[in-house]
This record gives sequence, structure tokens and C-alpha cells, in this order.
Amino acid sequence: MRFDTPAADRITAATLFALGAAMSWGGFVMDRLEIRQIHPASIPGLVPMILGAAMMLCAVLLALSTRGQTAPDASGVQGNWTDFGFAAAWSCVFALLLVGTLPFAAAAALYIFVFAGWFSWQPAEPQARNAKRMIFVAVFAVAVAVGVAALFRYGFLVRLP
Amino acid sequence: MEALNALLSGLGQFMSPMGLFHVAWATLLGILVGSLPGLTATMGVALLTTLTYTLDRDSAILVLICMYVGAIYGGSRSAILLNIPGTPASAATSLDGFPLAQRGQAGYAMALATAGSAMGTLVGILLLVLLAPALAAIALDFGSFEFFWLAVFGIVISGQLTGGVSPLKGYMAGLLGLMVAMVGSEGIHAHVRFNLGFDQLNGGIGLIPAMVGAFGFAEVLTVMWRRKAELSTEELKEDRVLPRLSDLWRYKITIGRSGVIGTLVGIIPGVGEDIGAWASYAAAKRSSKEKDQFGKGSYEGLTAAETGNSAVVPGALIPALTLAVPGSAPAAVLIAALFIHGVRPGPMIMFEQPTFIYSIAAMLILATIAIAIYGLSLTRLFILVLRIPRELLMPVVFTLCVIGPYALTQRVFDIWVMVAFGLIGFVLRQMNYPMAPLVLGIILGDLLDKSLRRGLTLSNGSLEPFFTRPISLAFVVIIALSIVLSMPVTRRAVGKVIGTKRGPTEQPEGRKP
Repeated sequence: MRFDTPAADRITAATLFALGAAMSWGGFVMDRLEIRQIHPASIPGLVPMILGAAMMLCAVLLALSTRGQTAPDASGVQGNWTDFGFAAAWSCVFALLLVGTLPFAAAAALYIFVFAGWFSWQPAEPQARNAKRMIFVAVFAVAVAVGVAALFRYGFLVRLP
Repeated sequence: MEALNALLSGLGQFMSPMGLFHVAWATLLGILVGSLPGLTATMGVALLTTLTYTLDRDSAILVLICMYVGAIYGGSRSAILLNIPGTPASAATSLDGFPLAQRGQAGYAMALATAGSAMGTLVGILLLVLLAPALAAIALDFGSFEFFWLAVFGIVISGQLTGGVSPLKGYMAGLLGLMVAMVGSEGIHAHVRFNLGFDQLNGGIGLIPAMVGAFGFAEVLTVMWRRKAELSTEELKEDRVLPRLSDLWRYKITIGRSGVIGTLVGIIPGVGEDIGAWASYAAAKRSSKEKDQFGKGSYEGLTAAETGNSAVVPGALIPALTLAVPGSAPAAVLIAALFIHGVRPGPMIMFEQPTFIYSIAAMLILATIAIAIYGLSLTRLFILVLRIPRELLMPVVFTLCVIGPYALTQRVFDIWVMVAFGLIGFVLRQMNYPMAPLVLGIILGDLLDKSLRRGLTLSNGSLEPFFTRPISLAFVVIIALSIVLSMPVTRRAVGKVIGTKRGPTEQPEGRKP
């Protein structure tokens, strides 16, 4: 999967055109604060209207620039989407669900252990070696989580989530 | 003489044991951050900002400057040893650094990189001390009309120079940043815009959570998405780890020119260290007697690239301090940090805190001395650091990305902002949208908005002063020329003219994708 293709640019152009249109419209219908008798040239919606229009123009130019372009060769892709998917999903679970639900140190230790464990586990290697590696990862996760939590809690006096 | 006294006084102020301790740990941390692929200078400065809340003003800024200088320098380590730039600033370094490492001269390549970085920063510091007060004096003549065009200039130039082959994407990233800045209470009538029903958005989107997301979380995702890089031990033969003075003397003109180019690139808003390195590298190649060696392990090419990217650091601080417009992405975070610590960058800085610019120069000098000492003495340690597995490093980085923005306001909402910007930042990077204009847009949005509406109020709705005042007119001409020259039709026409004059064999320098 690649994002730097003409098709992706056309989708982005459509999305950003819609965003620009929404911002322009939002600026146009925004309260003009007549009740406060402000100068008409200083209405709060002025700059959003201009920015929205500029974004729409750029989106049209982007869509036009993709005409006649061909998609790059997919064999040159360097990334691993499985690794990315796990890293993104688990990081979001940690930031959006675990933090605030569990004490920060526990949430961080769990996050680091699962993240590092997932990528460290080697199915082709003997179980004993993997088990040793998991013990190391667990100790590492707990040490880092406790260290970071203590630094912010006691060093910087932050009330942790 | 007054400037020299202020500089010496600044140096004396930080020569205390505690000051030197801060220089030592922050520069070392910066080098480590910069040397690890995936950790950038911007991310390092942004995360470290969250750790400096409790420090006093001068110590906090000293720590951040040392992190910035160290990280830009540290990027050369992995560029030389792995052929993967630790930071985008070191991309040009890898062109000659890695071939040198393959020839068994990794140690000497790192020594040259250290000397180049140190001298580049020193040239930049000299220009900072000379140019910043003058620029601040000129900026005193700026009114709303000029500040409006300055903001537009920053977005246009940054978008054009960082957009690579597609300046349009650079402009769009800048516009996106400006649109983000429209969220929340506006600066003239305190009217809340586009809060989408979330009270947490009334104050706008925080720069630190946005930057930590765009540079931190997006970087974590990018590193995990990429295939693993392997460090080749065959390249780490014993060789000389101190630069030869004869080599440095031979390249004195290259060093001086790269230092000046880097600093000037740094002054241009939102452009950054990578462009400084490429521009210096291209200039060195053009005038070199050993052109054919460039890209194959040229000492001169390596020195030019490293001098150029390091000189951008003081250069980027010139507009950051005198206009509150960042010259690079890490400088944008530094501006936010300056506000947090009670310093108001802008044209009034020479009146409100006349010695502050010299204090910054003193901090840069100390950081430069530290990178020279570390760079020449701890080569083996940095090689060991490159062996830290990404699966252990990245979750620690993300944990800091989560707790760092939260620590500033103690709002869980800022963690959500960081995550959103990280995911958006990853997708935009994959689509070749540069991040620097986006960040610059977030910073300059408020200035652009207030300046346009204030200007229109002053002129009673007339656009005339925006085009007739001398400084405004100069900005308009530069902006118009930049946009016209970035159009494909114009570029083709200019390319034909230049191509005819140069002859068919010489190719214009291109930027590495």
C-alpha cells in the first residue's frame, strides 16, 4: 500500500477541498459581533474565509496536477504494514484507554511490555530463549515505567493521570 | 565592544558548576537523540521542554539549546555508520560519510563531521551576534501590514523550500497549519472559533501536543513501519579519530562558505537544517577541484554538509528571537519554550532584555565546545548506542510523548491532540507533505490573523497600505516571485534558459527525496 500515488492525491485534494469549503462557510456564517459594534474589517470569520478559499484553490490545483501521472512502482515499498498496524493500534489503546483507567506507571509498564514483547518474540527460536527475552522485557518495562512516573510525579510535581 | 562584554558576561554566567553540568548532560542527551534514527532534534527539544518546567529560565533555555545543537550534530553518527541519517539534517552527510565508513574510515569521517559541526556553529554564532540586533532594529519599523506579509512570506518560502518537487504540497501543509491555528479564542475580540462543541478547544490547539504528535508519535510509527537497519561491524575498523589540521585548513573556504550559507538558510522562516546542508553541499560541489569525489567519500563534501546543517541552528534563532518567527522546526519549539519561561521574543527583545541574545550566543558556544569534546572522545560509545533495538526504544519514546504534553496543562485532552496529530502527521509524511510548514502555520496563524484584521481596521478597510508601504511592497514582490518561480511552467522555462547557458552536460543540483 502506498500513499504517494495520484489516486491518493486526488482523494486528499477532495478531502482538503471539503475542509476548505467548510472553513470558508464557517467563517462566513460566524458571528460578526455587530452588537459589540466592532469594525467590519475585523470580523472573526475574515481570515478563516480567506484560508478556506486558498485551501480550495490549492486542492483544485493538486487534483489538476495529477492528470497524466502514473502510480509509482509498488515493489519499491520499504515499509511493513503489519508492524505499523500493531504499533499504531496498541499505542492508541495505551494513550486513549489505558491512561486514565489504570495508574500511569501500571499503564506504561503494560504498554512497554506488550509493545517490546510483540516485536522481540521470535517464533523460530527456542522457547527458552524467548522466555528469557520476555523476562528481560518485563523487567525493562517495569523499570522504565516506574522511572518515568517517579520523575514526573516527584521530580516535576505532576499529578499523573 | 559592548557586544563582546555582554557575550563574556553571558559565558561567565553559565560557567558555574550547575551550568556546566546542564551543558554536559543536555548536549550528551542531544547527541544520543540525534544519533538514533527516528528521534529528531524537534522531538528531542519538544520532549525536553516538558522536563524543563521546574528549571529557572536561563537553565531551561540552556538545556534546550544544548539539546538542539547536540541533536543536529548527533545525526551524523548514524548517517556515517548506517547510511541512515539520524535526523533529516544529516541526509547530505550520508552521501560521503557512509562511503568513507565503507573504506574503513568511519572514525575519521566522524572526526571531520565533529570539526565541521563545531565550526559551522561558530560561524553561525558570529552572524547571530552581528545580525540579530540589526534585524531587531529593522523589525521595530514593522507594523500590522508588514507582520501580515512576514507571516505569509514564512509560509510561502517554507512551503516552497521544504516541499521538494511539489511546492504545492508545502503550501497546503502551511495552510493546514494556519487553519489549525484558527481553532479557539481569537486574539482581537476573544471570540471562540471552530471549537466543535469541545470546551477544551476554546483555548486553541496547543503547540507542544501538536508538535510532539507530529514529530514524536509520527516518528515512532515511521520507525516501526520501516524495515530494520543493520549496523555493519565491518565498517568499524580502528582509524584516526582526530581531524588533521591540514585537512581543515585546506577546506577553510568551504567551511566559511558553508557556515554563511547555513546561517542564511536558517534565517529564512521554517526552512531548516536539511536545506542548509543540501545548499552548502551543492555550493561546495560546484566550486570544488575534486567534484568527481563527491558522493564517493569526499572529505570536502562531508565537511560542507556538516558545517551547513550546524550553522542553521544559530541562524534559525535569529528570526526566532527578533521576530518570533522560527527559522526551523526545533526553533519553533524553542519559541514556545521561551514563552513558557517568561521570555517574549520579538522586535522588543533588544529593549526588554538587551543582553538576552548574547546569553543565547554564550549558550551556543558552550554547546559547541561540548559537542567537540564528546565527538572526539566518545566515538565508541555512540557506536554502542546505535545498537539499542528499536522495539525497546520506541515504546519509551511514546510513553514520553504521552506524559510530556500532559505534564504542561495536566489535561488528558492534550494526549488526544498528540495522538491525532501523530496519525495525521504519519499519513501526511507518507504522501510527501512536509511537516515544517504545518508547524510554522500553527505558530504564525495568530500573527497573520491579528495583523490582517488590525491592518484593515487601521486603514479603514483599505488594502492599499498592504501594497504601498516600502517593507510591505518588498515582501509582496518576493512572495509573488517565489510563487511564480515555483510554478511548473515557469520552472521549465527557467530550466531551459539555464540549461542552454550551462551547456548540456551539467545537471542542476537536486535535493535528495
